[in-house]
Amino acid sequence: MDPDRRGQWLRGVLDLCVLALLRDGESYGYQLAQALDTAGVGPIQGGTLYPVLLRLQRTGLVTAQWREGDSGPARKYYQLTAEGRAALRQGGNAWLAFVAPVTDIVTKGVDG
Amino acid sequence: MNRLVTVAEMTLRELTRRRGVLLLLLLMPLVFWMIRRDSYVGQSIRALFLGISWAVSTAALFAASGARELEPRLRLAGYRPHQLYLGRMLGLWVLGLAVAVPFFLLTVIDANNLRYAGIALAMLCCVAVAAPFGMLIGALLPRELEGTLLLLTVVAMQMLLDPASPGAKLTPFWSSREIATWAVDHTDAGYLSRGLLHAAVVTVLLIVTVAGVFGVRLRRRRHLHHAPLT
Amino acid sequence: MNADEWLRVFAAELHQRRVAVDAARHVVAEAATHLREGGGDPWLVFGSPQAYAATIVESIGTAPAPRPGPVRLDARGITKRYGRRTVLRDAALTVRAGQIAAVVGANGCGKSTFLRICAGLISPDAGEVTVSGRLGYCPQQGGTADFLLPDEHFVLVGAGQGLTREPARQAGRAAARQLGWEADRDVPARHLSGGTRQKLNLTMSTLAAPDVLLLDEPYQGFDQGSYVNLWDQLVRLRDEGRAIVVVTHLLNQLDRVDVVLDLTSSAK
Repeated sequence: MDPDRRGQWLRGVLDLCVLALLRDGESYGYQLAQALDTAGVGPIQGGTLYPVLLRLQRTGLVTAQWREGDSGPARKYYQLTAEGRAALRQGGNAWLAFVAPVTDIVTKGVDG
Repeated sequence: MNRLVTVAEMTLRELTRRRGVLLLLLLMPLVFWMIRRDSYVGQSIRALFLGISWAVSTAALFAASGARELEPRLRLAGYRPHQLYLGRMLGLWVLGLAVAVPFFLLTVIDANNLRYAGIALAMLCCVAVAAPFGMLIGALLPRELEGTLLLLTVVAMQMLLDPASPGAKLTPFWSSREIATWAVDHTDAGYLSRGLLHAAVVTVLLIVTVAGVFGVRLRRRRHLHHAPLT
Repeated sequence: MNADEWLRVFAAELHQRRVAVDAARHVVAEAATHLREGGGDPWLVFGSPQAYAATIVESIGTAPAPRPGPVRLDARGITKRYGRRTVLRDAALTVRAGQIAAVVGANGCGKSTFLRICAGLISPDAGEVTVSGRLGYCPQQGGTADFLLPDEHFVLVGAGQGLTREPARQAGRAAARQLGWEADRDVPARHLSGGTRQKLNLTMSTLAAPDVLLLDEPYQGFDQGSYVNLWDQLVRLRDEGRAIVVVTHLLNQLDRVDVVLDLTSSAK
């Protein structure tokens, strides 16, 4: 896939993806990047991910806390806040409402 | 008051951590006592007093030298000069009393036919004079070695001078000798009162001098002006 | 450029862009953790240090630029002679609240003498010093008590400000932590390493929350990490509105300094 185009798309939804990944529990930067890659979104570089996390933290959608993990070094763990949960619901629905017609249109174009 | 007590406490804590020095300091009065023990009891008592005076003034010397760099900082941190030197002196007096008590018990156990109140008073005089005396030397001389040598000279002079000679009264620890005579030889009360008076005068003079030296060293400098915060 | 170097440059970039000290520290630590776990070239993972620092600033903003406040230290016409040798001639320095001043110059040009005159520890032959508020001074060496524990130092200095024991201990340990030192062990000062002793020395001078802080080459015996912590701490104190004077012969931190007094030409 054209990486530029993928980058543009990601810029719009990376915050939603991160919020969604944090829904079921806290995580840290590197783990989030791996989860996104595994899910098939593609490799996300630290230079893209951390500014998003910092923005989410600053706007109060996530909180963060430095802690020693079970193994390995101290890491900055992010947790979803109540505001974050609300933003995820709202933003997620908006995304789904947006992406469904886009998929429709594009599907017709590709199939046709 | 809190500041003064804190300085006293820290002085004591510092000195009690210098265990080697403390043991050596206790050794001196003990050795003085042992050497003279077989001869005449009055000699060994006088030597013991001198040993205590030496031990406490040396401790005071060390304490004063050790604090030389620290004191200007404490002054900046809000201490007044008198809190610094009186606090240190207080700590040293407490230490001196702690040193004197076992030796007092030693005289009670080891010698008889003494006026024990006199022994106790003489030891108090030793301690009272020794703390400001050692501090003064520590404040005036730049290093511990010089101070120790000067102290040694004073103690040796004290030991060798005939107590009846006019110059002997000028030595700082003359009082304990005079009171010892009252306590050991059962002489008239004049010895006791002369001794106490001498100790009181010497102690006051030393404290005033220490105050003067500290006051000059830790004075507010004329070139430095303090403006209120704006 | 390896990862450590990249992180160092990145940290410097954040400072230059006036990102708040604590925030910058977290961002750098997080990037370091990421590189350690994932490996990879920092240039590919984060891009250039400059560009990434700019992105971070966009995300979290910067600390408000400190506006220099009122004058806290004003030294004028300071002249000092030792015998026939003039060590200082007509030296002058003005430092405002929220500024760091560096006093620089070759060895023996009178840097320490100048600082001691400002602290009021020695008298100049001519000149005046005016200080507003409380004065803190950290000597180059000495200044600690060999046989006292760190906690006892804090209590002793704290009592000067009327602090009782426990608050003084807490304040001391908190100030020590800012320098990356956990001061909770019962070790007499003489058994501390040179660098740690110096941290004790520094902690004592910041404990009284001075309005004017005078430091005489405060980094003796410091490793690289402690050195960075020290400057972070100084910037933090500056941003709190303190006036700081640092005697130094290392010039590589001058970009984080607001005023420079070079005494080299003063010694004649």
